[in-house]
Amino acid sequence: MLTIRENLLETMKGGNPDRFVKQYEFIDLIMEVPLGLEFNYGQTWKDHWGITWQWPEGQLGMFPVHHDGLAVIQDITEWKSVVKKPAIATSDEAWAPAIAHANAVDRKEKFATAFFAPGIFEMTHHLMGMENALMALYEEPEAMQELIDYLTEYELEFAAVMMEKLKPEAILHHDDWGSQISSFISPEMFEEFFVPSYKKIYQFYKDNGVELIIHHSDSYAANLVPYMIEVGIDIWQGVMNTNNIPELIEKYGEKITFMGGLHSGTVDYPGWEKEVVKKQVEETCKANGHKYFIPCQTSGLPIENFEGVIAYIDECIDEMSKEEF
Amino acid sequence: MSKIEDVKVLVETGKSKKVAAAVQEALDAGDKAQDILDAMIASMGVVGDKFSSGEIFVPEMLIAAKAMSKGVEVLKPVMAGDGSSSLGTCIMGTVAGDLHDIGKNLVVMMLESAGFDMVDLGVDVPADKFVEAVKENNNVVLVACSGLLTTTMPALKEAVQTIKEAYPDMKVIVGGAPVTQEYANEIGADGYAPDAGSSAAKAKELIGA
Repeated sequence: MLTIRENLLETMKGGNPDRFVKQYEFIDLIMEVPLGLEFNYGQTWKDHWGITWQWPEGQLGMFPVHHDGLAVIQDITEWKSVVKKPAIATSDEAWAPAIAHANAVDRKEKFATAFFAPGIFEMTHHLMGMENALMALYEEPEAMQELIDYLTEYELEFAAVMMEKLKPEAILHHDDWGSQISSFISPEMFEEFFVPSYKKIYQFYKDNGVELIIHHSDSYAANLVPYMIEVGIDIWQGVMNTNNIPELIEKYGEKITFMGGLHSGTVDYPGWEKEVVKKQVEETCKANGHKYFIPCQTSGLPIENFEGVIAYIDECIDEMSKEEF
Repeated sequence: MSKIEDVKVLVETGKSKKVAAAVQEALDAGDKAQDILDAMIASMGVVGDKFSSGEIFVPEMLIAAKAMSKGVEVLKPVMAGDGSSSLGTCIMGTVAGDLHDIGKNLVVMMLESAGFDMVDLGVDVPADKFVEAVKENNNVVLVACSGLLTTTMPALKEAVQTIKEAYPDMKVIVGGAPVTQEYANEIGADGYAPDAGSSAAKAKELIGA
Protein backbone atom coordinates (compact mmCIF):
# COMPACT_ATOMS: atom_id res chain seq x y z
CA MET A 1 0.00 0.00 0.00
CA LEU A 2 1.31 3.40 -0.97
CA THR A 3 1.81 6.08 1.64
CA ILE A 4 -0.57 9.03 1.58
CA ARG A 5 2.14 11.08 -0.04
CA GLU A 6 3.02 8.50 -2.66
CA ASN A 7 -0.63 7.95 -3.46
CA LEU A 8 -1.12 11.66 -4.04
CA LEU A 9 1.91 11.89 -6.31
CA GLU A 10 0.74 8.88 -8.34
CA THR A 11 -2.66 10.54 -8.71
CA MET A 12 -1.09 13.79 -9.81
CA LYS A 13 1.11 12.21 -12.44
CA GLY A 14 -1.65 9.98 -13.77
CA GLY A 15 0.26 6.92 -12.61
CA ASN A 16 -0.92 4.09 -10.43
CA PRO A 17 -2.49 5.25 -7.20
CA ASP A 18 -3.89 2.36 -5.19
CA ARG A 19 -6.91 4.28 -3.90
CA PHE A 20 -8.64 7.65 -4.20
CA VAL A 21 -6.92 10.50 -2.40
CA LYS A 22 -9.20 11.35 0.50
CA GLN A 23 -9.84 15.08 0.44
CA TYR A 24 -7.16 17.00 2.35
CA GLU A 25 -5.48 13.89 3.77
CA PHE A 26 -2.09 14.70 2.19
CA ILE A 27 -1.97 18.13 3.81
CA ASP A 28 -0.84 18.90 7.31
CA LEU A 29 -2.08 22.47 7.34
CA ILE A 30 -0.23 25.00 9.39
CA MET A 31 -2.99 27.41 10.30
CA GLU A 32 -0.86 28.99 13.03
CA VAL A 33 0.87 31.19 10.42
CA PRO A 34 0.61 34.74 11.89
CA LEU A 35 -1.28 36.23 8.95
CA GLY A 36 -3.17 38.69 11.11
CA LEU A 37 -6.48 37.13 10.07
CA GLU A 38 -9.29 37.31 12.59
CA PHE A 39 -12.42 35.16 12.73
CA ASN A 40 -14.80 36.83 15.19
CA TYR A 41 -18.16 35.08 15.17
CA GLY A 42 -21.08 37.37 15.83
CA GLN A 43 -18.96 40.52 15.71
CA THR A 44 -18.00 43.51 13.56
CA TRP A 45 -14.34 44.51 13.49
CA LYS A 46 -11.57 46.15 11.47
CA ASP A 47 -8.62 44.06 10.29
CA HIS A 48 -4.98 45.09 9.95
CA TRP A 49 -5.58 46.64 6.52
CA GLY A 50 -8.45 48.72 7.93
CA ILE A 51 -11.08 46.55 6.24
CA THR A 52 -14.34 46.27 8.19
CA TRP A 53 -15.71 42.73 8.62
CA GLN A 54 -18.97 41.33 9.88
CA TRP A 55 -19.76 37.78 10.90
CA PRO A 56 -23.49 37.61 11.59
CA GLU A 57 -24.63 35.19 14.25
CA GLY A 58 -25.99 31.98 12.80
CA GLN A 59 -23.97 32.36 9.59
CA LEU A 60 -21.12 30.23 8.29
CA GLY A 61 -18.74 32.96 7.34
CA MET A 62 -17.70 36.58 7.50
CA PHE A 63 -18.10 39.36 4.97
CA PRO A 64 -16.19 42.56 4.21
CA VAL A 65 -18.40 45.62 4.63
CA HIS A 66 -18.23 48.61 2.28
CA HIS A 67 -21.44 50.58 2.74
CA ASP A 68 -21.79 53.83 4.69
CA GLY A 69 -18.29 54.97 3.84
CA LEU A 70 -16.63 51.95 5.41
CA ALA A 71 -14.61 50.91 2.36
CA VAL A 72 -10.91 51.57 2.82
CA ILE A 73 -10.55 52.87 -0.74
CA GLN A 74 -13.22 55.40 -1.68
CA ASP A 75 -11.37 56.66 -4.76
CA ILE A 76 -8.97 54.29 -6.48
CA THR A 77 -6.83 57.15 -7.74
CA GLU A 78 -6.15 58.05 -4.10
CA TRP A 79 -5.35 54.52 -2.92
CA LYS A 80 -1.80 55.37 -1.88
CA SER A 81 -3.02 57.73 0.81
CA VAL A 82 -5.22 55.11 2.50
CA VAL A 83 -3.71 51.65 1.88
CA LYS A 84 -0.76 50.83 4.11
CA LYS A 85 0.87 47.42 4.28
CA PRO A 86 0.43 45.93 7.76
CA ALA A 87 3.60 45.10 9.67
CA ILE A 88 4.70 41.52 9.06
CA ALA A 89 5.40 39.57 12.21
CA THR A 90 8.99 38.39 12.18
CA SER A 91 9.69 37.54 15.82
CA ASP A 92 10.33 33.95 16.86
CA GLU A 93 7.62 34.40 19.46
CA ALA A 94 4.97 35.28 16.85
CA TRP A 95 5.99 32.31 14.71
CA ALA A 96 6.57 29.81 17.52
CA PRO A 97 3.24 27.94 17.24
CA ALA A 98 3.58 27.69 13.45
CA ILE A 99 7.21 26.55 13.69
CA ALA A 100 6.30 23.94 16.30
CA HIS A 101 3.56 22.64 14.02
CA ALA A 102 5.85 22.61 10.97
CA ASN A 103 8.49 20.67 12.89
CA ALA A 104 5.94 18.13 14.06
CA VAL A 105 4.70 17.22 10.59
CA ASP A 106 5.45 13.67 9.48
CA ARG A 107 6.83 14.73 6.12
CA LYS A 108 7.14 11.15 4.90
CA GLU A 109 3.35 10.87 4.96
CA LYS A 110 2.11 14.39 4.51
CA PHE A 111 3.08 17.74 3.07
CA ALA A 112 3.85 20.47 5.60
CA THR A 113 1.51 23.07 4.16
CA ALA A 114 1.54 26.76 4.92
CA PHE A 115 -1.65 28.73 4.58
CA PHE A 116 -2.04 32.12 2.93
CA ALA A 117 -5.19 34.19 2.42
CA PRO A 118 -6.64 36.33 1.03
CA GLY A 119 -5.05 36.53 -2.41
CA ILE A 120 -4.52 39.55 -4.62
CA PHE A 121 -7.89 39.58 -6.38
CA GLU A 122 -9.84 39.21 -3.15
CA MET A 123 -7.77 41.95 -1.54
CA THR A 124 -8.75 44.43 -4.27
CA HIS A 125 -12.45 43.94 -3.60
CA HIS A 126 -12.07 43.65 0.15
CA LEU A 127 -10.49 47.10 0.09
CA MET A 128 -13.06 48.84 -2.07
CA GLY A 129 -16.07 46.61 -2.75
CA MET A 130 -16.55 44.24 -5.65
CA GLU A 131 -18.31 46.59 -8.04
CA ASN A 132 -15.78 49.37 -7.58
CA ALA A 133 -12.85 46.99 -7.88
CA LEU A 134 -14.17 45.47 -11.08
CA MET A 135 -15.09 48.77 -12.68
CA ALA A 136 -11.72 50.25 -11.73
CA LEU A 137 -10.03 47.63 -13.90
CA TYR A 138 -11.65 49.44 -16.84
CA GLU A 139 -11.85 52.98 -15.61
CA GLU A 140 -8.54 53.43 -13.77
CA PRO A 141 -6.32 50.59 -14.98
CA GLU A 142 -3.06 52.31 -14.09
CA ALA A 143 -4.10 52.92 -10.49
CA MET A 144 -5.42 49.36 -10.22
CA GLN A 145 -2.16 47.98 -11.58
CA GLU A 146 -0.24 49.98 -9.00
CA LEU A 147 -2.46 48.69 -6.21
CA ILE A 148 -2.09 45.10 -7.45
CA ASP A 149 1.69 45.53 -7.58
CA TYR A 150 1.65 46.87 -4.01
CA LEU A 151 -0.40 43.92 -2.76
CA THR A 152 1.92 41.55 -4.60
CA GLU A 153 4.91 43.16 -2.94
CA TYR A 154 3.28 42.55 0.47
CA GLU A 155 2.61 38.89 -0.36
CA LEU A 156 6.19 38.39 -1.47
CA GLU A 157 7.54 40.03 1.67
CA PHE A 158 5.33 37.80 3.79
CA ALA A 159 6.30 34.75 1.75
CA ALA A 160 9.99 35.42 2.36
CA VAL A 161 9.47 35.38 6.12
CA MET A 162 7.20 32.35 5.98
CA MET A 163 9.65 30.33 3.90
CA GLU A 164 12.50 31.13 6.25
CA LYS A 165 10.51 30.24 9.36
CA LEU A 166 8.61 27.14 8.23
CA LYS A 167 10.27 25.69 5.15
CA PRO A 168 6.90 24.37 3.98
CA GLU A 169 6.63 21.82 1.20
CA ALA A 170 3.24 23.04 0.05
CA ILE A 171 1.19 26.21 0.07
CA LEU A 172 -2.58 26.38 0.33
CA HIS A 173 -3.41 29.78 -1.11
CA HIS A 174 -6.91 31.24 -1.27
CA ASP A 175 -8.19 33.60 -3.95
CA ASP A 176 -11.69 33.14 -5.33
CA TRP A 177 -11.73 34.02 -8.99
CA GLY A 178 -15.33 33.35 -9.91
CA SER A 179 -18.94 32.73 -9.06
CA GLN A 180 -20.49 29.30 -9.45
CA ILE A 181 -21.17 29.93 -13.12
CA SER A 182 -18.46 32.23 -14.44
CA SER A 183 -15.13 33.79 -13.70
CA PHE A 184 -15.52 37.28 -12.27
CA ILE A 185 -13.41 38.80 -15.04
CA SER A 186 -12.57 37.77 -18.57
CA PRO A 187 -9.53 35.58 -19.21
CA GLU A 188 -7.94 38.50 -21.08
CA MET A 189 -8.35 40.83 -18.11
CA PHE A 190 -7.14 38.12 -15.76
CA GLU A 191 -4.04 37.67 -17.89
CA GLU A 192 -3.33 41.39 -17.97
CA PHE A 193 -3.81 42.21 -14.29
CA PHE A 194 -3.33 39.07 -12.22
CA VAL A 195 -1.19 36.53 -14.08
CA PRO A 196 2.05 38.54 -13.73
CA SER A 197 1.55 38.85 -9.95
CA TYR A 198 0.76 35.18 -9.46
CA LYS A 199 3.70 34.16 -11.60
CA LYS A 200 5.99 36.12 -9.28
CA ILE A 201 4.40 34.82 -6.09
CA TYR A 202 4.18 31.15 -7.01
CA GLN A 203 7.60 31.17 -8.68
CA PHE A 204 9.05 32.59 -5.47
CA TYR A 205 7.61 29.70 -3.49
CA LYS A 206 8.86 27.14 -6.01
CA ASP A 207 12.32 28.72 -6.05
CA ASN A 208 12.41 28.36 -2.28
CA GLY A 209 11.61 24.70 -2.05
CA VAL A 210 7.83 24.47 -2.22
CA GLU A 211 6.79 21.38 -4.15
CA LEU A 212 3.04 21.88 -4.29
CA ILE A 213 1.06 25.00 -4.98
CA ILE A 214 -2.55 24.36 -4.05
CA HIS A 215 -4.78 27.20 -5.10
CA HIS A 216 -8.30 27.46 -3.70
CA SER A 217 -11.12 28.98 -5.73
CA ASP A 218 -14.49 27.34 -5.13
CA SER A 219 -16.01 28.56 -8.32
CA TYR A 220 -16.26 28.22 -12.03
CA ALA A 221 -12.84 29.01 -13.48
CA ALA A 222 -12.45 26.54 -16.36
CA ASN A 223 -11.60 29.45 -18.64
CA LEU A 224 -8.67 30.34 -16.37
CA VAL A 225 -7.08 26.89 -16.18
CA PRO A 226 -4.41 27.64 -18.82
CA TYR A 227 -3.32 30.58 -16.65
CA MET A 228 -3.38 28.42 -13.52
CA ILE A 229 -0.90 26.15 -15.25
CA GLU A 230 1.16 29.10 -16.46
CA VAL A 231 1.52 30.59 -12.97
CA GLY A 232 2.55 27.26 -11.48
CA ILE A 233 -0.53 25.93 -9.71
CA ASP A 234 -0.24 22.18 -9.17
CA ILE A 235 -3.66 21.56 -7.65
CA TRP A 236 -6.81 23.61 -8.15
CA GLN A 237 -8.76 23.05 -4.96
CA GLY A 238 -12.46 23.94 -4.96
CA VAL A 239 -13.28 22.99 -8.53
CA MET A 240 -17.06 22.88 -8.85
CA ASN A 241 -19.09 20.62 -11.09
CA THR A 242 -20.20 23.65 -13.09
CA ASN A 243 -16.75 23.41 -14.71
CA ASN A 244 -17.21 20.07 -16.48
CA ILE A 245 -14.42 18.43 -14.51
CA PRO A 246 -14.03 15.32 -16.75
CA GLU A 247 -13.37 17.59 -19.73
CA LEU A 248 -10.80 19.58 -17.74
CA ILE A 249 -9.05 16.39 -16.63
CA GLU A 250 -8.93 15.15 -20.21
CA LYS A 251 -7.57 18.43 -21.50
CA TYR A 252 -5.24 19.58 -18.73
CA GLY A 253 -4.80 16.67 -16.32
CA GLU A 254 -1.17 16.08 -17.15
CA LYS A 255 -0.35 19.61 -16.02
CA ILE A 256 -2.71 20.28 -13.13
CA THR A 257 -4.78 18.22 -10.70
CA PHE A 258 -8.37 19.02 -9.85
CA MET A 259 -9.55 18.78 -6.26
CA GLY A 260 -13.24 19.17 -5.48
CA GLY A 261 -16.43 17.92 -7.10
CA LEU A 262 -18.36 17.88 -3.81
CA HIS A 263 -20.17 21.18 -3.35
CA SER A 264 -19.93 22.06 0.31
CA GLY A 265 -23.37 23.64 0.32
CA THR A 266 -24.99 20.40 -0.79
CA VAL A 267 -23.16 18.05 1.57
CA ASP A 268 -22.33 20.15 4.63
CA TYR A 269 -25.68 21.60 5.65
CA PRO A 270 -27.85 21.54 8.77
CA GLY A 271 -29.21 18.02 9.20
CA TRP A 272 -27.08 16.64 6.35
CA GLU A 273 -28.16 13.20 5.21
CA LYS A 274 -25.91 10.21 4.65
CA GLU A 275 -27.65 9.04 1.49
CA VAL A 276 -27.25 12.49 -0.10
CA VAL A 277 -23.54 12.63 0.72
CA LYS A 278 -22.92 9.03 -0.37
CA LYS A 279 -24.63 9.60 -3.71
CA GLN A 280 -22.56 12.70 -4.42
CA VAL A 281 -19.29 11.00 -3.51
CA GLU A 282 -20.18 8.08 -5.78
CA GLU A 283 -21.10 10.39 -8.62
CA THR A 284 -17.96 12.51 -8.42
CA CYS A 285 -15.61 9.51 -8.07
CA LYS A 286 -17.22 7.71 -11.00
CA ALA A 287 -17.44 10.79 -13.23
CA ASN A 288 -13.90 12.02 -12.64
CA GLY A 289 -11.88 8.90 -11.94
CA HIS A 290 -8.69 8.66 -9.94
CA LYS A 291 -6.14 10.24 -12.25
CA TYR A 292 -5.51 13.95 -11.79
CA PHE A 293 -8.56 14.16 -9.54
CA ILE A 294 -9.03 14.35 -5.76
CA PRO A 295 -12.58 14.03 -4.46
CA CYS A 296 -13.00 16.78 -1.89
CA GLN A 297 -15.45 19.29 -0.53
CA THR A 298 -15.15 22.59 -2.36
CA SER A 299 -14.65 24.36 0.97
CA GLY A 300 -11.17 25.87 1.17
CA LEU A 301 -10.24 24.36 4.51
CA PRO A 302 -10.45 20.85 5.93
CA ILE A 303 -13.11 21.85 8.39
CA GLU A 304 -16.81 21.10 8.57
CA ASN A 305 -19.71 23.31 9.51
CA PHE A 306 -21.91 20.44 10.66
CA GLU A 307 -20.50 17.60 12.70
CA GLY A 308 -19.51 14.37 11.09
CA VAL A 309 -19.59 15.34 7.41
CA ILE A 310 -15.86 15.12 6.74
CA ALA A 311 -15.52 11.71 8.37
CA TYR A 312 -18.52 10.41 6.47
CA ILE A 313 -17.24 11.73 3.13
CA ASP A 314 -13.93 9.96 3.84
CA GLU A 315 -15.84 6.76 4.63
CA CYS A 316 -17.70 7.03 1.32
CA ILE A 317 -14.45 7.65 -0.56
CA ASP A 318 -13.00 4.51 1.06
CA GLU A 319 -16.03 2.61 -0.22
CA MET A 320 -15.44 3.96 -3.70
CA SER A 321 -11.77 2.98 -3.51
CA LYS A 322 -12.82 -0.61 -2.73
CA GLU A 323 -15.18 -0.54 -5.68
CA GLU A 324 -12.97 1.19 -8.24
CA PHE A 325 -9.49 -0.24 -7.47
CA MET B 1 -24.59 55.92 -37.98
CA SER B 2 -27.59 57.70 -36.40
CA LYS B 3 -27.19 59.45 -33.08
CA ILE B 4 -29.35 56.82 -31.40
CA GLU B 5 -27.14 54.08 -32.78
CA ASP B 6 -24.14 55.92 -31.30
CA VAL B 7 -25.84 55.90 -27.91
CA LYS B 8 -26.58 52.18 -28.19
CA VAL B 9 -22.99 51.33 -28.99
CA LEU B 10 -21.66 53.53 -26.17
CA VAL B 11 -23.97 51.86 -23.63
CA GLU B 12 -23.15 48.37 -24.83
CA THR B 13 -19.44 49.05 -24.63
CA GLY B 14 -19.70 50.88 -21.31
CA LYS B 15 -18.34 54.24 -22.38
CA SER B 16 -19.83 56.14 -19.46
CA LYS B 17 -17.80 59.29 -20.05
CA LYS B 18 -19.15 59.69 -23.60
CA VAL B 19 -22.78 58.64 -23.27
CA ALA B 20 -24.17 61.86 -21.81
CA ALA B 21 -22.87 63.92 -24.71
CA ALA B 22 -24.16 61.38 -27.22
CA VAL B 23 -27.64 61.40 -25.65
CA GLN B 24 -27.68 65.19 -25.77
CA GLU B 25 -26.63 65.11 -29.42
CA ALA B 26 -29.43 62.67 -30.18
CA LEU B 27 -31.95 64.97 -28.47
CA ASP B 28 -30.55 67.97 -30.34
CA ALA B 29 -30.86 66.05 -33.59
CA GLY B 30 -34.57 65.63 -32.90
CA ASP B 31 -34.70 62.09 -31.56
CA LYS B 32 -37.45 61.56 -28.98
CA ALA B 33 -36.35 60.97 -25.40
CA GLN B 34 -38.51 57.84 -25.20
CA ASP B 35 -36.86 56.42 -28.32
CA ILE B 36 -33.40 57.07 -26.89
CA LEU B 37 -34.39 55.43 -23.62
CA ASP B 38 -35.84 52.43 -25.45
CA ALA B 39 -32.60 52.12 -27.40
CA MET B 40 -30.57 52.11 -24.20
CA ILE B 41 -32.88 49.54 -22.63
CA ALA B 42 -32.43 47.38 -25.72
CA SER B 43 -28.66 47.76 -25.37
CA MET B 44 -28.80 46.56 -21.80
CA GLY B 45 -30.89 43.61 -22.99
CA VAL B 46 -28.03 42.71 -25.33
CA VAL B 47 -25.55 43.14 -22.47
CA GLY B 48 -27.65 40.85 -20.27
CA ASP B 49 -27.81 38.19 -22.98
CA LYS B 50 -24.06 38.36 -23.54
CA PHE B 51 -23.48 37.98 -19.80
CA SER B 52 -25.81 34.97 -19.61
CA SER B 53 -24.03 33.32 -22.52
CA GLY B 54 -20.58 33.92 -21.02
CA GLU B 55 -19.50 36.28 -23.76
CA ILE B 56 -18.91 39.11 -21.31
CA PHE B 57 -18.22 39.22 -17.58
CA VAL B 58 -19.24 41.24 -14.54
CA PRO B 59 -17.02 44.31 -15.20
CA GLU B 60 -18.44 44.73 -18.70
CA MET B 61 -21.98 44.55 -17.35
CA LEU B 62 -21.17 47.05 -14.60
CA ILE B 63 -19.67 49.62 -16.90
CA ALA B 64 -22.58 49.24 -19.35
CA ALA B 65 -25.07 49.85 -16.52
CA LYS B 66 -23.08 52.86 -15.40
CA ALA B 67 -23.04 54.21 -18.96
CA MET B 68 -26.78 53.80 -19.19
CA SER B 69 -27.33 55.64 -15.92
CA LYS B 70 -25.27 58.55 -17.28
CA GLY B 71 -27.52 58.63 -20.32
CA VAL B 72 -30.67 58.46 -18.22
CA GLU B 73 -29.47 61.47 -16.19
CA VAL B 74 -29.62 63.54 -19.37
CA LEU B 75 -33.08 62.23 -20.27
CA LYS B 76 -34.64 62.65 -16.82
CA PRO B 77 -35.32 66.41 -17.00
CA VAL B 78 -36.70 65.98 -20.51
CA MET B 79 -39.01 63.16 -19.46
CA ALA B 80 -39.98 64.62 -16.06
CA GLY B 81 -43.60 63.88 -15.25
CA ASP B 82 -43.83 61.30 -17.99
CA GLY B 83 -44.51 58.08 -16.14
CA SER B 84 -44.91 56.09 -19.30
CA SER B 85 -41.29 54.93 -19.29
CA SER B 86 -41.56 53.13 -15.94
CA LEU B 87 -42.51 49.49 -15.69
CA GLY B 88 -43.45 50.05 -12.04
CA THR B 89 -41.61 49.68 -8.78
CA CYS B 90 -39.58 46.63 -7.81
CA ILE B 91 -38.53 46.00 -4.22
CA MET B 92 -35.30 44.04 -3.94
CA GLY B 93 -33.16 42.69 -1.13
CA THR B 94 -30.94 39.86 0.05
CA VAL B 95 -32.81 37.83 2.64
CA ALA B 96 -32.26 37.72 6.41
CA GLY B 97 -28.94 36.38 7.64
CA ASP B 98 -27.23 36.80 4.29
CA LEU B 99 -24.79 39.65 3.62
CA HIS B 100 -24.03 38.88 -0.03
CA ASP B 101 -24.67 41.89 -2.19
CA ILE B 102 -22.83 41.49 -5.48
CA GLY B 103 -25.44 39.43 -7.32
CA LYS B 104 -28.23 41.48 -5.80
CA ASN B 105 -26.58 44.72 -6.93
CA LEU B 106 -26.16 43.39 -10.45
CA VAL B 107 -29.84 42.47 -10.61
CA VAL B 108 -30.80 45.93 -9.30
CA MET B 109 -28.79 47.48 -12.11
CA MET B 110 -30.24 45.22 -14.77
CA LEU B 111 -33.85 45.76 -13.65
CA GLU B 112 -33.32 49.49 -13.38
CA SER B 113 -31.86 49.47 -16.87
CA ALA B 114 -34.92 47.57 -18.08
CA GLY B 115 -37.23 50.32 -16.80
CA PHE B 116 -38.16 49.35 -13.25
CA ASP B 117 -38.01 51.90 -10.42
CA MET B 118 -35.86 50.04 -7.95
CA VAL B 119 -36.08 50.16 -4.18
CA ASP B 120 -32.98 48.40 -2.87
CA LEU B 121 -33.46 47.24 0.72
CA GLY B 122 -29.85 46.06 0.94
CA VAL B 123 -28.71 42.85 2.60
CA ASP B 124 -29.89 40.86 5.64
CA VAL B 125 -33.51 41.89 5.02
CA PRO B 126 -36.12 40.27 7.31
CA ALA B 127 -39.29 38.98 5.62
CA ASP B 128 -41.45 41.67 7.24
CA LYS B 129 -39.33 44.42 5.76
CA PHE B 130 -40.21 43.32 2.23
CA VAL B 131 -43.90 43.58 3.13
CA GLU B 132 -43.42 47.00 4.71
CA ALA B 133 -41.62 48.21 1.60
CA VAL B 134 -44.47 47.06 -0.63
CA LYS B 135 -46.84 49.01 1.60
CA GLU B 136 -44.72 52.14 1.75
CA ASN B 137 -43.92 52.49 -1.95
CA ASN B 138 -46.13 53.37 -4.88
CA ASN B 139 -46.96 51.15 -7.80
CA VAL B 140 -45.02 48.11 -6.58
CA VAL B 141 -45.39 45.39 -9.22
CA LEU B 142 -42.61 43.03 -8.26
CA VAL B 143 -40.53 41.87 -5.29
CA ALA B 144 -37.13 40.31 -5.90
CA CYS B 145 -35.45 38.26 -3.18
CA SER B 146 -31.87 37.05 -3.33
CA GLY B 147 -30.21 34.34 -1.25
CA LEU B 148 -26.66 33.13 -1.71
CA LEU B 149 -26.24 30.63 1.09
CA THR B 150 -27.76 27.21 1.51
CA THR B 151 -28.20 28.14 5.16
CA THR B 152 -30.37 31.13 4.24
CA MET B 153 -32.67 29.17 1.94
CA PRO B 154 -35.23 28.90 4.78
CA ALA B 155 -35.13 32.71 5.04
CA LEU B 156 -35.80 32.94 1.31
CA LYS B 157 -38.80 30.67 1.73
CA GLU B 158 -40.04 32.71 4.66
CA ALA B 159 -39.67 35.95 2.70
CA VAL B 160 -41.65 34.62 -0.26
CA GLN B 161 -44.37 33.18 1.92
CA THR B 162 -44.66 36.31 4.07
CA ILE B 163 -44.97 38.51 0.99
CA LYS B 164 -47.54 36.18 -0.55
CA GLU B 165 -49.60 36.07 2.64
CA ALA B 166 -49.76 39.86 2.77
CA TYR B 167 -50.08 40.39 -0.98
CA PRO B 168 -51.28 37.20 -2.69
CA ASP B 169 -51.25 38.78 -6.16
CA MET B 170 -47.79 40.32 -5.86
CA LYS B 171 -45.27 38.81 -8.25
CA VAL B 172 -42.15 37.52 -6.53
CA ILE B 173 -38.93 36.58 -8.30
CA VAL B 174 -36.03 34.79 -6.58
CA GLY B 175 -32.42 34.03 -7.38
CA GLY B 176 -28.99 33.29 -5.98
CA ALA B 177 -26.36 30.57 -6.29
CA PRO B 178 -28.15 27.70 -4.51
CA VAL B 179 -31.61 28.56 -5.88
CA THR B 180 -33.10 26.48 -8.68
CA GLN B 181 -36.33 26.63 -10.64
CA GLU B 182 -37.53 23.63 -8.64
CA TYR B 183 -36.82 25.36 -5.35
CA ALA B 184 -38.51 28.53 -6.58
CA ASN B 185 -41.62 26.49 -7.44
CA GLU B 186 -41.48 24.69 -4.11
CA ILE B 187 -41.48 27.90 -2.06
CA GLY B 188 -44.20 29.55 -4.12
CA ALA B 189 -42.18 32.14 -6.03
CA ASP B 190 -43.60 33.23 -9.37
CA GLY B 191 -40.27 33.37 -11.13
CA TYR B 192 -36.61 32.47 -10.99
CA ALA B 193 -33.61 33.80 -12.88
CA PRO B 194 -30.35 31.86 -12.94
CA ASP B 195 -28.21 34.97 -13.38
CA ALA B 196 -28.35 38.75 -13.43
CA GLY B 197 -28.25 38.82 -17.21
CA SER B 198 -31.54 36.98 -17.56
CA SER B 199 -33.26 38.62 -14.58
CA ALA B 200 -34.63 41.59 -16.51
CA ALA B 201 -36.31 39.47 -19.18
CA LYS B 202 -37.87 37.24 -16.52
CA ALA B 203 -39.03 40.21 -14.45
CA LYS B 204 -40.68 41.81 -17.48
CA GLU B 205 -42.33 38.52 -18.38
CA LEU B 206 -43.76 38.20 -14.87
CA ILE B 207 -45.47 41.59 -15.00
CA GLY B 208 -46.59 41.08 -18.59
CA ALA B 209 -44.48 43.92 -19.98
